[in-house]
Amino acid sequence: MNPPDYAGLARALLPEAALVLGALLVLGLDLLFFRKHSRESRLRSAVAIGALAVVAAIGLNLRVGDAGSVFGGVLVLDPLAVAARVGVLLLTLLTFGVATGTAPLRHPAEYIAIILFATVGFTLMAAAQQLLLVFLALELASLSLYVLVGFDHARPESAEAALKYFLFGGMSAAFLLFGFSLLYGLTGSIDLPAIGAVLAKHDPQPLLLVALTMVLVAFGFKAAAAPFHLWAPDAYQGAPTPSAALLASGSKLAGLTLFVRLLWPGLGSVAGHINPKYISPGWLPVVVLLAVASLLVGNFAALAQTNIRRLLAYSAIAHAGVMLVGVMIAGSAGFAPLFYYAATYGISTVGAFGVIAVLEGRGGCQRITDLAGLHRRSPLLAGCLLVFVLSLAGIPPLAGFFGKFYIFADALSIGGATGEIGGATGPVGRVAVLAILLSAVAFYYYLAVLKQALVAPPAEGAAPVRVPLAAALTLVVAAVLLVLLGLFPTVLINGF
Amino acid sequence: MSPPSLTSYLVLSAVLFAVGFFGVLLRKNTLVIYMCLELMLVASTLALVACSRFNGTMDGNVFVFFILTVAAAEVAVGLAIVVALFRKRQTIQVEELNHLRD
Repeated sequence: MNPPDYAGLARALLPEAALVLGALLVLGLDLLFFRKHSRESRLRSAVAIGALAVVAAIGLNLRVGDAGSVFGGVLVLDPLAVAARVGVLLLTLLTFGVATGTAPLRHPAEYIAIILFATVGFTLMAAAQQLLLVFLALELASLSLYVLVGFDHARPESAEAALKYFLFGGMSAAFLLFGFSLLYGLTGSIDLPAIGAVLAKHDPQPLLLVALTMVLVAFGFKAAAAPFHLWAPDAYQGAPTPSAALLASGSKLAGLTLFVRLLWPGLGSVAGHINPKYISPGWLPVVVLLAVASLLVGNFAALAQTNIRRLLAYSAIAHAGVMLVGVMIAGSAGFAPLFYYAATYGISTVGAFGVIAVLEGRGGCQRITDLAGLHRRSPLLAGCLLVFVLSLAGIPPLAGFFGKFYIFADALSIGGATGEIGGATGPVGRVAVLAILLSAVAFYYYLAVLKQALVAPPAEGAAPVRVPLAAALTLVVAAVLLVLLGLFPTVLINGF
Repeated sequence: MSPPSLTSYLVLSAVLFAVGFFGVLLRKNTLVIYMCLELMLVASTLALVACSRFNGTMDGNVFVFFILTVAAAEVAVGLAIVVALFRKRQTIQVEELNHLRD
C-alpha cells in the first residue's frame, strides 16, 4: 500500500483553504476593526473580503485543475469537478452581489462568513468520491444553509422556514446515511469506484433496492423534486433573499453534481432498465417517477401562486424535473448537458432573487403585484428581470433555451449503452415530450410576472428605485452571462 | 447460544430507524421530533458498526465517529432555530407553524 499523499491532498484542497481563511478573516476583521461601524459598511467590508476569497478560490481551483484521483480516491478532480467548483464559486459571488442589494441583517459579517462555509461544503460536494466525504460535505453545506435560512431576527417567518427546512433536511440526511450503511454492508467499501466494481459483479439483491430508495429520497430532497419538495416554497418565502438565492443556485448545482456522481459512476450498474420491452428494477424507474411528478406539481402549482418567491420555488421544482431528465441521460450523454442546464438555471434564479432583494430593501417585495410598474421605477431592474425570467422560461437566444435544448435533444435520441433508456419512444423520451408541453404552461406564469413588471402601471406613490452600485453590477453581469452563454453555448458544452 | 448474525443487527437497526421515522411524522413537539431524528441517525450507526464487524474493515467504525460529531452539530443548529422561533412565537408545537403560505 502506498503511503498517503498528504501533499497532493493539501494541493487539491487549496480552494477550500482559501474560502475558510476568507471566512475567518471576515469574522476576525469585523470583530477587531468594524464592530463600531454602521451595518452597511460592515456588510460592504465583509462582502469585499469574502469576494476576494472566492476569487482566490476560483484561481487556485483552475491552477490545480484536472488532477484526477486525490488521496486514494477520497476526492476526484475530473473536468466535472473543476467545472462544478468554478460554477458554485461564481454563484456564491453573485449571491454576495444580491446581499449588497438588500438592507443588511443584524450580523452582516457572520452572515457572509456562513455563506463562505456553505460554499466550502459545495466545492467539496462537487469533488467528493467517498461516502464519508460525501456525507460530511453535504452536512457542512446543509447545516450552514439551515442557519442562513433562519438568519433574519426581525421576521418570525425566517425562523419558521428554517425549522421546516431543518426537519426535512435532517430526515433526508438520516435516509441518506442509512442507505450508505446498507451500501457499505453490501459491498464492504465506502469508495465509489470500488462500490461500482462490486455491484457490477452481482445481481441486485432486495436489500440493495432498499439502499437505493433511501439514497433517492435524499436526492429528491436536495433537488427539491416532488414529492420531496414540500420544504421549498416555505424556505424560499421565509428565508432572507440572499439565502434563498444561494439555496436555489449553488446548493442545487453542488447537489446535482454530487448525486450524479453517486448514481452513475458509483451505482450505474444497478440503474435498471426502463425500456418498456424489458423493465428491471434499479434507480432509473424511480427517477422517472420523480421527474414526472416534479414537472406536473411544479408547473401547475406555480400557476396558482400570488407570491413571487413561492412562484420561483415552484418553478424551481419544475426545473428540477428537467434536471432529473439530465441525470438519467448523463450515463450515455455525459455530464455536460446537465451541468450547462444547472449552471445557467442557477445564474438566472440568482438574478431574479437579486431583483427581489433590491426591491425588498426599498419597501418589500412579496406579491407578484409588488413588481407593478418596475419599468418606470427602475428600467435597469426591469430589463435584467426580463432577461432572467425569459431565460427561466427557455426563450432563445438565452442560455435557458439551450440548456433545455441539449437535454431534450439527448433524451429523444439516446437509447442508452444497453438500451436502458429507450430513446424517443422510451420513458425518458416521453418525459422529455411532457416537459416540452409543460413549457407552454410555464410560459404563462412567467409572462404573468413580466406583465406586472413591464406593462402594469406603478402603484400610487411608488417611488423610483435606486439600485446600489454593487447590486446593479451583479445583475448586469448575470444578465450578460446568460446572453453570452446562450450565444456561445459550446464554450461550456465542449468544455469537458 | 450462537452469536447474533448480521441480519439480526440489520433488523434491529431497521426497527430503530422506523421508530424514529414515524416519531418524526407523528409527534407534535419539536424537541421530541429532534430526539426521533437522532434515533434515525443512531440506527444508521448501529448498521455501520455491525457491517464493519462482519465485513472485517474499519471504514464503518471510522464513519461512526464522524456521524456522532455531525449529529451533535446538527442538534446545536436545530436547538438554535427552536430558540429563535420560541422568542418570536412562544411555542414549539409544529402544528402552530402555519404562517408561511400564499
